[in-house]
Amino acid sequence: MICVPLLKREIKRNIPLLAIFAGILTLYASVILTMYDPELGESLAMMKDAMPQLFAAFGMSDPGTTLAEFLANYLYGFLFLALPLVMIILLTNRLLAGYLDHGTMAWLLATPRPRRQIAASQALFLIGSILVAVLYAGGLCALLSAFMYPGELASLPFLRLNLSLAALLSLLGSLCFGGVCALPDSRQGLAAGGGLCVLFMLLQMLSQAGEKWEWLQYLTPLTAFDSAALARGEGSMWPALVLFMAALALYAAGVGIFTRRDLCL
Amino acid sequence: MNPVIEVQGLTKDYGQGRGVFDLTFQVEKGEVFGFLGPNGAGKTTTIRQLMGFVRPTRGGARILGKDCFRQAAAIQAHTGYLPGELSLMDDLTGDGFLRFMAQMRGMKGLGSAEELKELFRLDGRQSLRKMSKGTRQKVGLVCAFMAHPELLLLDEPTSGLDPLMQNRFIELLLREKARGATILLSSHMFEELERTCDRVAILRAGHLAAVEPIAALRQTRTKQYQFTFPSPASAAAFSAAWPGAKVEGSSASVALTGQEELSRLLSLVAGYDVKDMSVDGGSLEGAFLGYYGEEV
Repeated sequence: MICVPLLKREIKRNIPLLAIFAGILTLYASVILTMYDPELGESLAMMKDAMPQLFAAFGMSDPGTTLAEFLANYLYGFLFLALPLVMIILLTNRLLAGYLDHGTMAWLLATPRPRRQIAASQALFLIGSILVAVLYAGGLCALLSAFMYPGELASLPFLRLNLSLAALLSLLGSLCFGGVCALPDSRQGLAAGGGLCVLFMLLQMLSQAGEKWEWLQYLTPLTAFDSAALARGEGSMWPALVLFMAALALYAAGVGIFTRRDLCL
Repeated sequence: MNPVIEVQGLTKDYGQGRGVFDLTFQVEKGEVFGFLGPNGAGKTTTIRQLMGFVRPTRGGARILGKDCFRQAAAIQAHTGYLPGELSLMDDLTGDGFLRFMAQMRGMKGLGSAEELKELFRLDGRQSLRKMSKGTRQKVGLVCAFMAHPELLLLDEPTSGLDPLMQNRFIELLLREKARGATILLSSHMFEELERTCDRVAILRAGHLAAVEPIAALRQTRTKQYQFTFPSPASAAAFSAAWPGAKVEGSSASVALTGQEELSRLLSLVAGYDVKDMSVDGGSLEGAFLGYYGEEV
């Protein structure tokens, strides 16, 4: 099912890109973590009081009291979604859209590897990269917390928060991947898939900005990722499971379409 | 024995008259088969169908008894392919690309890649991005041939190659043919196919106009022989002796179809003081015109 030489090539080729994102995540995570004050960040609370709508739009409505809630609010609410989404779009381009657009897919198909195997390998690399990114981001936060605020981070809620994030990002990845597989023009496919993800994020931001727009939350799968509740230890893991299953179904559908469609090479 | 390539009523309609329509032909084992046609005649579209990139609208193609779309991967185990629009993985070096493709093909080593690089004087250490068009074409050729495939599908294989390398390519092609490989190649130039092909299919506007043995096409091809004389007067004298010669200043040109009259022409012209002589091999249109007596 998996094309090992292709997987090896993608690992080698994309490590610089993944390293850049790891760097950016490190920067944000460490800066935000230094802002945590166990005595409740008063300055942040004041800022929030001064411009509540703006804070709410970025998913920072409730700073919470525990470190897990703080992280959920300031990192998992927006940054840890937006940055990986950029990574996902860039990766989908490099893994699939680029090969189709550039015509180099012809070489991959001029080998005894079925299309299914090639597409599945690329999907696997994308899913793997997402999991590695979440593992890195979560691991980094846990490590920094352990050094800076020993004993403050509640590990089970934090773990559930990260697993749910991985499920949501997998779904966003499958939308980009599926878009490229499904549309005849790979650039348009990526624009459609990536655009849909960005739209979902905007809908969520709008729905949080005021009661008038609250109904918009039912139009975006991001609602299934309730970072604040997960950090409080209240959220269920069912939404995450549903997100992940939906992602797997979309990846499989993408691979299936890719296997049957005409390729302009 | 079954043919290696069987194309039956193959149609891919892209609308507005683009595509290929109702192609039927067969290529036998060990045969070198040429696709001849102007740009946009459907040569590449046909090869893409054989590669299984696109699904036929109607009809079908089989290679080694397998369906070209549904069993493409199984066919590829026995096929070497050179795309017409060559784009390579620019992040790799020439050697890196060949190694990657060998692994993708499941080859143990690099096959005859070293020998082929030697033949084409190819330095594979350079990055593909920095290579010239001709050098990249060589990389593509090495990649297509290195696994000693049973079947080669080559889309405009000599594009970008200088005349010396074109000759090397023809040598290679004839060697592979001697080995027993079946080869399908496309070109818009008759000369290129003339030296290697057993049979040629002429495509125009997506339709198969003819499939002929190369000798038959050669017989009917019109060539232009141009002679330059010391003065317009001697050119005129020559044209008086060869009715039908076109005089232009001190040169005269003669169009001949087939080879019957060539020795008569040469012995006549030998009696004159000839300063220069050139032969125009005849365009594709000329070949077509000669064969069908109609416009392409």
